[in-house]
Amino acid sequence: MRPRLWLYFLRQALVNIMNNRVFHAIGMGTMVVCLLIFGTFLVLFVNLNAWLQGWGHTLSMSVYLEDGIGEPGRKRVEAFLRKLPGAEIRRYISKEGAMRDLRHTLGPQAALLEGLSVNPLPASFELIFRNSPGKEKVDSGKLKERIKTIPGVSDVEYSEEWVKRFQGILGVVRLAGFFIGGLLALGILFIVTNTIKLTIYSRRDEIEILKLVGATDGFVKAPFLLEGMIQGVLSGTTALLLLFFGYFLLCGKKIHLMGLALPGFVFIPQEYVFSILIMSVALGLAGSFIAVGRFFDL
Amino acid sequence: MIQLFHVFKEYGSNVALSDISLKVREGEFVFITGPSGAGKTTLLRLIFGAERPASGHILINGIHLNRINRRNLDRLRRKIGFVFQDFKLLPGKTVFENVALALEVTGERRSRVRKKTRRALKLVGLREKETAYPLQISGGEQQRVAIARAIVRDPLILLADEPTGNLDPDLTRDIMLLFRSIYMKGTTVVIATHSRDLLEKTAARTILLDRGKVAGET
Repeated sequence: MRPRLWLYFLRQALVNIMNNRVFHAIGMGTMVVCLLIFGTFLVLFVNLNAWLQGWGHTLSMSVYLEDGIGEPGRKRVEAFLRKLPGAEIRRYISKEGAMRDLRHTLGPQAALLEGLSVNPLPASFELIFRNSPGKEKVDSGKLKERIKTIPGVSDVEYSEEWVKRFQGILGVVRLAGFFIGGLLALGILFIVTNTIKLTIYSRRDEIEILKLVGATDGFVKAPFLLEGMIQGVLSGTTALLLLFFGYFLLCGKKIHLMGLALPGFVFIPQEYVFSILIMSVALGLAGSFIAVGRFFDL
Repeated sequence: MIQLFHVFKEYGSNVALSDISLKVREGEFVFITGPSGAGKTTLLRLIFGAERPASGHILINGIHLNRINRRNLDRLRRKIGFVFQDFKLLPGKTVFENVALALEVTGERRSRVRKKTRRALKLVGLREKETAYPLQISGGEQQRVAIARAIVRDPLILLADEPTGNLDPDLTRDIMLLFRSIYMKGTTVVIATHSRDLLEKTAARTILLDRGKVAGET
């Protein structure tokens, strides 16, 4: 198609938007809210994922000892643990030390422990394994089984179990994201379709005359398709700017999750930014396509 | 130029046209006349391709309208000018823009659109009113804008449905002179009218319709 025709279509699309600015403002406002919800979800998801990945790089482990293991047994276990590749013993917690820690954690409720005749808490070693980028990742499951075979070790817990549980939850969150995203996309499609339908209705006399003077279907439809695309571009851009503004306000703040200070917030990666923009344009185009398809049968 | 063979058209149980066969040669000036409800407007709409016949065949400039696709119909319409009874002007566009619309749909250059539009407006005597809006001009002037839009593309055929129906005798004479001048340039002109006065004052072939049938020809 000739470039001057595209200029004509663009001019027509902009005139349509200006003439129906209230419809378009409402439509775009709703679209922005939908995209903003989706974008916020993406930011939270990306950050949660990043935090979990960070935790995954450092594997921490608690090795619990049997009661009455004695000093020689403890030393034997310690020597074994020190030999493990990448392992670093952070501290040894004796039975008394574990009770002290528990009292400290319970605070005013520590009186509950007064009734205990014996200390039920085991002594333990706290270990960390650092995953170096070049080296093979520690297989925590195998390591746990190996440590459990050492005489005097009663149980082993490691942080990755928690990470795996979180990753499981994150999988559910991802699915929910797809579901919410799908619903929001349908909502956007519905909004754009109806906004364009309203502008078509408001111009139906002109469309009739255009057809009567020999305009092709493409000629009549093109400005409406452009209108949907423009609505998509404007809504997508506005939503991303608002999302970035919200991120900008939050990124300086310290965020705590279950008592842990989380590392700084990150914004969604560039490819996600482009995806949101492309998605909003595609939805705008698809919405106007549906609207013109249903309306035109002149 | 225009050929109809045993054309029938019905709207539900109402028969609008029944077994119409006629020919209009290239460069001819023809009146279609008859009482209200005789089928004049339906006949023009069929020739224009705005409706399809229930049966029968219509050929325009050798093109079979029954077999034409949407795209080619749009292109054929560019060769036919139509002056509607209710003018069909856009109130939000100026006189100039209303006329230019017929050229813009063909993708003409803006400079050519300007040139041709001004030429058509000059021909109908509305060059001075090109910036006015339809509601700011009289009924006769609106009719002339509609004619300017119909002739701006130099059509092969000009169809007009009751073009003087709402005009006083002086304006009617002016409009008919305009149609005559367009005809003199070689355009085939078909005018539907029920005005006896108009038929008596204009010497031209006249086809009489009555209850959807050709009832006579002079």
